[in-house]
Amino acid sequence: MTLSLFFQLIVNGLMSGGMYALVASGLTLTLGVIKIFNFAQGQFYMMGAFITFAIVGTLNLPYPVAILASLIMMGGLGMLFYFGIIQKTMIQGFFSTMLVTVLFSSIINQIALFTFAYKEQTIPAIFPGILTIGDVSFSIGKLVVILCAIAIMVILHYFMKTKIGTAMKAAAENMDVAQLQGINAKQIFWITMAIGCSLSGIAGAIVMPVTGAYLAMGMNVFMRALLVLMVGGMGSMLGALIAGFLVGIVESIAFHFVGYLNLLVILMSIGILIYFRPGGLLGQPLPIPGE
Amino acid sequence: MSKANKITIFILIVLLIIFPLLVNPYTIQVAITTITYSMLGLAFALSLKVGLPRMDIAAWWGVGAYTTALLMKEGISFWLTALIGGVIAVILGLVIFYICIPRGMMVFFIFCMILAMALYQAFGSVPLFGGWGGITGVPAPTIGSFAFIVKRDLYYLGLFFLGLNSVVYYLLYNSRIGRAWNAIGSSLRLSRSLGIDVVKYRMANVLIGNFFMALAGSFFVAYYRAALPVIFNFQAGLFVLIYLIVGGIYYSLAGPILGAIVVNFIPEYLRFAKDYQSIVISSVVIIIIMFMPMGILGWLNLKVKPRFFRQKGIT
Repeated sequence: MTLSLFFQLIVNGLMSGGMYALVASGLTLTLGVIKIFNFAQGQFYMMGAFITFAIVGTLNLPYPVAILASLIMMGGLGMLFYFGIIQKTMIQGFFSTMLVTVLFSSIINQIALFTFAYKEQTIPAIFPGILTIGDVSFSIGKLVVILCAIAIMVILHYFMKTKIGTAMKAAAENMDVAQLQGINAKQIFWITMAIGCSLSGIAGAIVMPVTGAYLAMGMNVFMRALLVLMVGGMGSMLGALIAGFLVGIVESIAFHFVGYLNLLVILMSIGILIYFRPGGLLGQPLPIPGE
Repeated sequence: MSKANKITIFILIVLLIIFPLLVNPYTIQVAITTITYSMLGLAFALSLKVGLPRMDIAAWWGVGAYTTALLMKEGISFWLTALIGGVIAVILGLVIFYICIPRGMMVFFIFCMILAMALYQAFGSVPLFGGWGGITGVPAPTIGSFAFIVKRDLYYLGLFFLGLNSVVYYLLYNSRIGRAWNAIGSSLRLSRSLGIDVVKYRMANVLIGNFFMALAGSFFVAYYRAALPVIFNFQAGLFVLIYLIVGGIYYSLAGPILGAIVVNFIPEYLRFAKDYQSIVISSVVIIIIMFMPMGILGWLNLKVKPRFFRQKGIT
């Protein structure tokens, strides 16, 4: 393996790792605060990518508009999802709610297949060009994606320190006590759901110019977000970012050597990791539903 | 078991035995898949008893199926391969669950999901398992010179497996182990304080489930005569959860079987919907969850039964 190839793999891993981190942090938020496991997270990612295609590729509007649009639309859809379905099934426990999200994601998948996602869509690169350092060259578009992912995670980190973020943390810790302190549970719930879904949407919008938009991207990224959840520990944004990059790099290097068995390689390493560190790399495990 | 229950079960068994004589071969084919899925649903209900939702059903199902397919092509008898598949699933499960069961429910839940996805990828990409094309041309199972080729015979074979499965689970649920499982399912802390070794009992539970899921996989290969990775993908495991919720989550034996029957047979009457079939099914199940929280059996027991049978003590 040459040095150039090695750095290429690292950059690819960092790029997909940033996406995993964003989707996983949305998953972590909903799991911690509302105590639901949102299977549709990956589908929101896929829809974010297709919204970007619709706005940049079809309507010819500037790229930032697409990012903003996918952020707002996915947040709104998440809110509707919460008020329409989740709220009514939450009382029936963890499994029923999880199954509802599973079914919702399959409905989205089918509708997408029939209406807009029947073929892979691409747009011309937003940041064309290649950065060359020595004899190693990087695509600038990928580096921008990595930087954007880091920036969003930092914003999220500081958002968790604002009033709403603190309220979310309190709700995750103990809902009853939080309500006694005057925190509006309903409000916190829909805000969390909207943030979780819009994180996925914005991740899709960021990565779209590089990878294109296709139907299976949702399930793929969701699968890796689960790995990130295991490695990073639940409930920690920094842990999610580090774990996302780690999983991305290991995956891309393992793919170079063993092909599609890379998932099995990661699974084994995670097994060893959680045997010694049950809480993940640096996470404090959130209060777990059902125990 | 009360007398009424005994009579109901006797009638059900008779109905199941004469069922294939009355319907066309296509319906028998649907019934055979329903039997396989019922066995998987029973295993899911089993693990839910101890508070562990398992998402790795497709993985163990696939382990059993691939073991049978590989060994039967080598000329080994079906019955032996089914047993070997079960044992392999138990041994592999022992290694994996030794890591994740002591770490609690959430780690088990996510780890199992990843396991199912990883094994699906492995089935598809390892040359030994035939790649994405899978293993085809598996010979039919035989007893002496009698081969199970006709759909009706395969139906009876499946019924035998399902019956064995249900009887074993029924005996387990009513034994000392079953009572301990119930205690763990209703309160983890209380059962710990009563001196129940939670990890050991959970381990026994999921390993028994593994064995029977691998058995279901072996039966499926005997019917399908092939093992394709596409069948054992992650979504197959999710559908099992649907059966359980539709049937009734608190009915460990009847719930999954009834749910599998309902969910597998309804699509046959939805032919007009064609492409939109899965959208319709998903929406219907969401509505069932929203308005029948206890599933069909719970709805029958709580809402319909009191209208026809007056309860004792109420005049």
